[in-house]
Amino acid sequence: MAQTTALWPLIIYFAAVLVVVGVMLGLPNLLGQRSRGKATVEPFESGIVPVGDTKIRFSVQFYLIAIFFVIFDLEAVYLFAWAVAFRESGWAGFIEIVVFIFVLIAALAYLWLIGALDWRTRRQRRVESKINN
Amino acid sequence: MTADALIALLPIMVVAGAAIVVMLAIAVRRNYRLTVILTLLGLVTALATLPLAAERAPLAATELMRIDRYALFFIGLVLATGVAVTLLCYDYFAKREEQKEEIYILLLTTLLGGAVLAASSHFASFFLGLETLSVSLFAMIAYPIKERLPLEAGIKYMTLSGAASAFLLFGMALIYAEVGVLSFAELGRLSATADFQPSVLIGIVMIIVGLGFKLSLVPFHLWTPDVYQGAPAPVTALLSTVSKSAIFALLLRYFVVSGSYSYESLSAVLTFIAVASILVGNLLALLQDNVKRILAYSSIAHLGYVVVALITGRVLGSAFAVEAVAFYLVAYVVSTLGAFGVVAVLSVGGDEAETLAAYQGLFWRNPGLASIFTASLLSLAGIPLTVGFVGKFYVFSSGVNADLWLLVWTVVIGSGVGLYYYLRIVLAMMKSADGVATAAVPAAPAPLVGCLTLTVLVALLLWLGVYPGAFMEMLQSLSKTLS
Repeated sequence: MAQTTALWPLIIYFAAVLVVVGVMLGLPNLLGQRSRGKATVEPFESGIVPVGDTKIRFSVQFYLIAIFFVIFDLEAVYLFAWAVAFRESGWAGFIEIVVFIFVLIAALAYLWLIGALDWRTRRQRRVESKINN
Repeated sequence: MTADALIALLPIMVVAGAAIVVMLAIAVRRNYRLTVILTLLGLVTALATLPLAAERAPLAATELMRIDRYALFFIGLVLATGVAVTLLCYDYFAKREEQKEEIYILLLTTLLGGAVLAASSHFASFFLGLETLSVSLFAMIAYPIKERLPLEAGIKYMTLSGAASAFLLFGMALIYAEVGVLSFAELGRLSATADFQPSVLIGIVMIIVGLGFKLSLVPFHLWTPDVYQGAPAPVTALLSTVSKSAIFALLLRYFVVSGSYSYESLSAVLTFIAVASILVGNLLALLQDNVKRILAYSSIAHLGYVVVALITGRVLGSAFAVEAVAFYLVAYVVSTLGAFGVVAVLSVGGDEAETLAAYQGLFWRNPGLASIFTASLLSLAGIPLTVGFVGKFYVFSSGVNADLWLLVWTVVIGSGVGLYYYLRIVLAMMKSADGVATAAVPAAPAPLVGCLTLTVLVALLLWLGVYPGAFMEMLQSLSKTLS
C-alpha cells in the first residue's frame, strides 16, 4: 500500500500530461475554422512546392557503413569488458583477447580484400581503370 | 585453463580455426577447389583430434563446456555430417553463384555452433552455441540471394528463430531468477534438494517451446516445409541433420543433468508434443507433391519419434534413453543425408529437382541414384536391414518397456502412414519415363563426388542396419557416462 500512495503524484502527473495533450490536439479541431484549399495538406517549405516524394533510394554504401559500425563497435564492447577485469583475468585473459583481436583483424582483412570497403559503383570502377591505363 | 582442458577442447578450436583460415584464404585468393579442400582438411583434422580429447574425458573444460564421451560422440556426428555436406555442396554450388566460396565459412561456423551445443553444460554456452548455429544457417538458407524462394525461406527462418530464441532466453531468465545458477549440474543438484515448483517449470516449458521451434516439433513446425523447400538442397540436408541432432543432444543432456525428469507434468507436455508431431507430420506429408516438402514433414514425424525415446528416460533411467536417442539420431542423420543428398546431386545441373515428376522413371535413367534414394527412403520408413529399422526398434522397445502404450500406438500408426508416402516416391521412380515432360528431367550427368559420398552413406546405412551390434555396444558404454 505504501508503494501505491508514493506513486499517486506520478499517476496524477501522467493523467495531467494526457489531459493537456488531449486538449491541445482536440480544441483546435473543435474551435478553429477549416480551409480545404488545393495545397492545404501539402508540406510547406519556404514557399516552394515539394518535388517528388520521400521514397528516395539511398546508396547501399550507407547501409554498409552502418553494418560495419555495428559489427566493430559491438566487438569494442567485449574489449571494454576485458579491460575492466584486466588484472583479474591475468595472462590467460590476455592471450584470449589477443586471439579475439586477431579474429577481428582477420575479418577486417577479409572485408578489405574482397572489396567491401571499395565504395565505387561497378561503372565507376570500370571508367577509372580505363583512365588509369 | 589447463593444458588438458585445451586438448579436450581441440576439436572445437580446430573447427573455429578452420573457419578463419578459410576466410583468409578466400580473401587472398578466390579459388573454389582450394576452399573446399581447406574446409575438408579442417574437418578431418578436427575429427582426428577427437581421440586425443577422449583420453582426457570426462573433463569440465571451463565452467561452460563439459567434454565427456557423450559430447565427443555428438561432436563427431556433427563433424562427420559436415564432411558429407561439404562434399554434397561441392558440385551443387560449383556452377551456381558468383561468390560461392563463402558458403564453406558459414558451413564451418554452423558446425562450430553444433559442436558447442553438444558439449555445453551451462545456459550461456547453450545460448551461444544455438545462436552460432542458427545465425550461420540464416545466411546459408538465403545464400542464392537472387532467387525468390531461398530469400523467402531465409527470412522466415530468421524471424521465427528469433521468436524462438526470445522464448528460450525468457525461460532461462525465469529459471535463473528462481534458482540463481546457470550451470546444468548446479541446477540439478539444487532442484534435487529444494522444491522450486512454479517458475522453474514455466522456464523449462519455455525452453522446450524455444527448442521445439528449432527441432520443428508440432505445434511449432509451421516454418519447416517452406524453409526446407526454399533452401538449396545441401543446406536443407545440413539444416535437417546437424541442427536437429546437436540441439537434441543438448536437450537430452539438459533433461538428464538438470533433473528435469522429476517434473511429472513435463512428461505430459512432451507426450502431447510427440503424439502431435508424429501424427501431424505423417498425415500432412500425404498431401504433398514436392519431394523436399515430403521430407520436411517426415523430419517433423521423426523428431516426434526421438521425443518418445526422450520421454521414456523418465521411467527407464537416463542410460537407455541416451542409447535410444543417440542411435535414432544417427539413423535419422544417415538416412536424411542420403535422401537430401540425392536431391542435391540431381539438382546440380539447374533447377531444384523437387517435384515428384522430376523423379519419374529415375530407375531407368539412373539406377544407381535411384537405388540410393530408395534405400534412404526405406530406412526413413523403418524397413528391416536398414539402420532406420534398428532406430525405430529402439524407440518401440523403449516405449513398450516403459509401459507408455499411447506413445507406442502412435509410433505404430505413424510408421504405417509413413510407409505410404515414402513408397509413393519409390513408385514414381519405378514408373516408365515415357510420359514425362523433358523439362522436368534433370539433364546433367550425375557428378562424381556427390555420388561417391552417397555410396558411402548407403554402405553405412546398410552396415549399421545389418550389423548394429558393435555400434550399440559403443553407445551402451557411452550412455553411462552422462549423468
